Amino acid sequence: MSAHATKEIPFAGTVPSPQTENEGMITGHWRTRRPVIDRDKCTECLMCWISCPDACITQDDNKGLQFNMKYCKGCGICTTTCPVGAITNVPELDFAD
Amino acid sequence: MNVEKLFEEPGLKQITVWARGVLENKEARDVVVALTEAAAKEGKYVQAWENYVDLPDRIYVPVRAYGKIGEQPLESKYVYENEVPDIVALTEETLVKGNPILQGVKPGSVLVVNTKRSPQEIAKFIKDFGNLQTLVTIDASGLGSAVITLSGAEGATDASGIGGGMSAPLAAAIVKATNIVSFENLLSIVKNKEAAEFGFERAQVVDVKTLQIAG
Repeated sequence: MSAHATKEIPFAGTVPSPQTENEGMITGHWRTRRPVIDRDKCTECLMCWISCPDACITQDDNKGLQFNMKYCKGCGICTTTCPVGAITNVPELDFAD
Repeated sequence: MNVEKLFEEPGLKQITVWARGVLENKEARDVVVALTEAAAKEGKYVQAWENYVDLPDRIYVPVRAYGKIGEQPLESKYVYENEVPDIVALTEETLVKGNPILQGVKPGSVLVVNTKRSPQEIAKFIKDFGNLQTLVTIDASGLGSAVITLSGAEGATDASGIGGGMSAPLAAAIVKATNIVSFENLLSIVKNKEAAEFGFERAQVVDVKTLQIAG
């Protein structure tokens, strides 16, 4: 490793979490129920964020928690772990998209 | 000899059933097994199998089960997937979204969906009807619940029997729309006979052309 490359790594190796999508394993069509979040109830405790097995949930400072529907397979773990009941499972065919 | 017709098998009917992995895997298998067993009683040449490439041990993953019913001995018995199905069935309504369910369907084909919704509502989610002629809806989940078991998944034994769950009304709806086997023969195969009778009675059969005109 060159001296230059060593300089670019932050102290204690704290790097931003990788944001990647696997195009070869799109799981959005596995979903039968879609998680819908009630923004008024959500406290942004991030229990859903840490529980999501597909890392579909991301935090946005302005818009709140965002769900990536391309990969969400509708397992409902976020709905179960939400301590304030802000997430509900809605049948997938109630949505046109 | 015409090369394009080399693999043509006159009188062969292909059945493809889509389901959700683990939870409805057994139901998809039962639909094709019930139909092919009933056809075998009528002296037809039959074959039924599951697609293992679909990762069937994952919950909710779309999986397929296939059936072939032929008037003559099957020549394509080692062809692993049904590329030009005559009958497509879905054990669960949301499979219409994001899955190539109608890929390669033959002219005059039939789509059967297990849903509480009307055929008009289901048709909204189908972008390309292709050669589809008939759309059938049946609330099979209201008539029988899914049998969740891995028994029979590897083909050795099947402890829960054929058509004990909601596969019976679904197979009955297929028979009502296509007449591929006689309903009496299907009834003699499936375990959940009452649900099959209700399924035959309540299935809504709609011509796709009327749906398209209605928008």
